[in-house]
Amino acid sequence: MKFIPKKPREGINVSDVHPLAEAGTLIVGLIGVFVIVALLLIFIVEVALYFVPAETEAELFSDWLPEDLATVSPSDERLYQTQLLTDRLASHWADAPYAFRVEIDDSDVANAMALPGGLIIVTQGLLDEVESENELAFVIGHELGHFRNRDHLRALGRGIVMSLFYAVVMGNDVAGIGINSADITLRGFSRKQESKADEFGLAVVNAEYGHVSQASRLFERWDSTDGNTPGIAKYLATHPQPGDRANKLRLIAERDGWRTDGQVTSLTW
Amino acid sequence: MDHSTNSIVISNTDSIPGRNIVEFYGVVTGNTVRAKHVGRDIMAGLKNIVGGELKGYTELLQDSRAEATERMVQQAESMGANAVVNVRFATSSISQGAAELFAYGTAVRVS
Amino acid sequence: MAQRFGCREMENTIDQLSLFFNYGLPLVLLLVAYFVGSRIEKKHFSNIQKREDELHGFPVVSFDTMPEDWQVASSHMVTGSIVISLDYFKRVIAFVRGLFGGRIKTYEPLLERARREALLRMSESAREQGYDAIFNVRLETSRLANAGRDGKGTAGVEMLAFGTAVKFASRFG
Repeated sequence: MKFIPKKPREGINVSDVHPLAEAGTLIVGLIGVFVIVALLLIFIVEVALYFVPAETEAELFSDWLPEDLATVSPSDERLYQTQLLTDRLASHWADAPYAFRVEIDDSDVANAMALPGGLIIVTQGLLDEVESENELAFVIGHELGHFRNRDHLRALGRGIVMSLFYAVVMGNDVAGIGINSADITLRGFSRKQESKADEFGLAVVNAEYGHVSQASRLFERWDSTDGNTPGIAKYLATHPQPGDRANKLRLIAERDGWRTDGQVTSLTW
Repeated sequence: MDHSTNSIVISNTDSIPGRNIVEFYGVVTGNTVRAKHVGRDIMAGLKNIVGGELKGYTELLQDSRAEATERMVQQAESMGANAVVNVRFATSSISQGAAELFAYGTAVRVS
Repeated sequence: MAQRFGCREMENTIDQLSLFFNYGLPLVLLLVAYFVGSRIEKKHFSNIQKREDELHGFPVVSFDTMPEDWQVASSHMVTGSIVISLDYFKRVIAFVRGLFGGRIKTYEPLLERARREALLRMSESAREQGYDAIFNVRLETSRLANAGRDGKGTAGVEMLAFGTAVKFASRFG
């Protein structure tokens, strides 16, 4: 046996794909897959909602309260008045599936939430901020709109989808980009839901007062004090910009021929 | 592995049975790193509870072994060898879910 | 799970920050790791090729038994090893690849380097000690676990090459 020194050709054990090209393909594929799966799961949630009627929801959640809620005493004057207002507004919704309960959250931040079972939560901050009953009526009407569209259950579905994704990705930063893309897609749907709830809220206000004067005042105030989010970040928001919301409401009032002037009812507290 | 005059003979012994080694050139290697996809992961997790063959992984490693061997043979061919003797395999896991497999042997010319 | 009316003060800054942290930062880290890592890799490869050329003519084989015409004066086992770390770029790409399946092409140059380096170190150490050839070469890989973080994850990969080095009694052919 003779020894003849030889070297093999270079590069046999290495693929000739440029690493950045491979990285790029993988990341784009990741985003695509996550967005598609998110949309599929949302579709499944929609189908599931169809099969869980509101009556069942009412039975399941009729006495439910979230644990971390800091509520006020039941004899609070504002709570009483807000509950009365809610009952009046809900009476315009012919086939409301459940009776709506109001609770006040002891927080300074202006907010209102629609929770399963017909529970509406408003914060002290919101009650401090509204300047007329018409404004508050619009807020409550907006929440009623969410109940009508069953958005609160959709938000639950969205939470489950995101948890599933987090379990798959396991904290890897770049794979987290996939989750983010899915989340951004979902927020687009969220903004649409908010718009539809705005529309319903305006209709309820019109039914109650005969006009929509001052209903969008809240958005107009927010538009001038805080301004709108510049640039790309507005696509990340779960709600449309206050300026856009105010404009949209004006357009709806015009389209449906509702009066925008009229006697504004002041708050009774 | 059956051989024709054109393809390289592989053996895990020191010599090819019935033939003589005329020249030897050096060590040649071939390796691959492969990952399974999430679906196989989940199936394997379930199988870990009940036991039995992990078919997905078996296929994965068979494909990897074939590819590693093929690369080793390509290295030998590029040296002008017509056989690889004393072939050995080594498997190891590089990171979560990725298995590296390499094959190595000595490239020789047999009569 | 709540449908909020709109907590607008906090949302604006948080959204812009989140855009940066969720997209910008990982991608920047990824690119930095890629560029630095690929420079290191290129330098290593050219270094390896240079040393392999210097060792040209030094027989390294994996035969179990020595060729008959070798007359050996002395022999000893020699080893060469290297531990290479997996950089951030490679680990991340491997993870995403692990979701889809297939060949992890970014690891291939890494393992190739590790193997050739280990073989080189073994051969160089044998030559330094005055040996003339190495036979029965074996290669082993093992994964080192991370010291912290419950030992999960990979700190690096060790490649080991070992064989029997021989000193010839007389020069042949």
